[in-house]
Amino acid sequence: MNMTAIISIKNLSKSYAGNKAVDGLNLEIQKGEFYGFLGPNGAGKTTTIRMITGILQGDEGEIAIDGGSVHDKKHVSRLLGVVPESRGFYEWMTASEYLYFFANLYSVPKKNQEKLVTALLSEVDLLKRKNSTIGTYSRGMKQRLGLARALINDPKILILDEPTLGLDPQGQLMMQQLLKKLSSAGVTIFLSSHLLDEVSRLCSRIGILHRGRLIVEGTVDELKQKTGMKDLTEVFLHLTST
Amino acid sequence: MFTHIWHKEIRGELYTWKSMLWLLISSLLFSVTCYLLLTNKELSLLDQTELLWLLGKVIIGVGLLVITVDASSIITTEFEKETAESIFLSPVSLTDFVLGKLLAALTLWFAIFIVSIPYIIVASAGSHLAIPFIAYIALLGTLGVLGFVLLVFAISLFFRSSKNTLTTGLIILLGLSIPAVFSSTLKNDVVSQIISHANPIDNIFSSLDNVLVDYKVSLLENWQFIVPLVVFCLLALGLLAFAMYQFQKQGVIRSE
Repeated sequence: MNMTAIISIKNLSKSYAGNKAVDGLNLEIQKGEFYGFLGPNGAGKTTTIRMITGILQGDEGEIAIDGGSVHDKKHVSRLLGVVPESRGFYEWMTASEYLYFFANLYSVPKKNQEKLVTALLSEVDLLKRKNSTIGTYSRGMKQRLGLARALINDPKILILDEPTLGLDPQGQLMMQQLLKKLSSAGVTIFLSSHLLDEVSRLCSRIGILHRGRLIVEGTVDELKQKTGMKDLTEVFLHLTST
Repeated sequence: MFTHIWHKEIRGELYTWKSMLWLLISSLLFSVTCYLLLTNKELSLLDQTELLWLLGKVIIGVGLLVITVDASSIITTEFEKETAESIFLSPVSLTDFVLGKLLAALTLWFAIFIVSIPYIIVASAGSHLAIPFIAYIALLGTLGVLGFVLLVFAISLFFRSSKNTLTTGLIILLGLSIPAVFSSTLKNDVVSQIISHANPIDNIFSSLDNVLVDYKVSLLENWQFIVPLVVFCLLALGLLAFAMYQFQKQGVIRSE
């Protein structure tokens, strides 16, 4: 593994109405890494992700994305692909119109757009429904379309906030296969999920956030060794039950 | 970049039943106004210039009302339907975003203006007022609408809620409209005259009166009405710039 930090977070904090959602977080994600970001509800995962993507301002601390500041919008939007927690879509658009719209926003050259949109729709298995309006899509189809949108700029880093939430087993499997493929292609992936089994199978390194603090970090084996538990679910419950 | 936002709005907002309904309602109101002005016994006794002035008031009034209502949701919908995050994750800047939305709102005003032209031509038949009337409706209406859209966008960025923006926008519109429809005899004291000179809607109606009734059609003869309108637009732009600054400080997702 190339040990160069592509995401570097130093002493990051964020409070909501006096309550610390993220408290002095330090984190380094290496280039090409598949990082699992775990934590119970309200631990500060989504807040952290929103600060990494520049959508939310932190109160303290620094975030660097591939050496550049998170506040440099052009730099960040060129490097990042994001499947955010909020999954609003323009329901009146068709899937292909939606991707063309974002291709334009990301200044993808016109001559490449058709090929790119077709490839992405095929990748997420929506090519047959490309002319249906998004309003007619199931939740799983929308999640896949969200992933296609996140890949429109050929990102070096992919950040996903609960991408398999609410998907049926087939949908989860398809999403996991796609993420594996992207990871093998060298994309750095930062995955926040509640599905511990999914995380332990996919991620090369895991961090557990609890009450805004990163309480443990390492590979699944390292976490098991540190805590003396036999699987990730036990590790998670053991560390976050207090 | 803003053109992509504008095109998206045109497709998603303008070519919808909602906008078509606005245009239909506008058209019906213009029809009823023209019909009453031309056929009603008392109203048809009005001088043609007075009649045109009343029609002008209706056109501008309908335009301002429709655009205020439409502009109240054009930005806030992106937050309420959770589409803002994906837009702002892309390279689109807040300025591009607001500019695209502004053009979309002005496009709806332009559509209302186009719908009003046949009514203006019919009501101006036999007079030489049709062209100055159309030109001044375009100028005064666009300045008025621009000012209100900028104001409503600023409110949208402060509240990020359609309901609150619509309520506040309508209160401001009604607050400014009510003194504007008072007759000039009620505006004899100093305070009323100051309010009248500062009120953008009052200035629009006074300029129309100047053009249609007094036939003072040059811009030089209307500068005293146009300058306050420009100042209103600049003040609204200043407020929008402040709202955008606040918005960027708070982030796309507001800390709550």
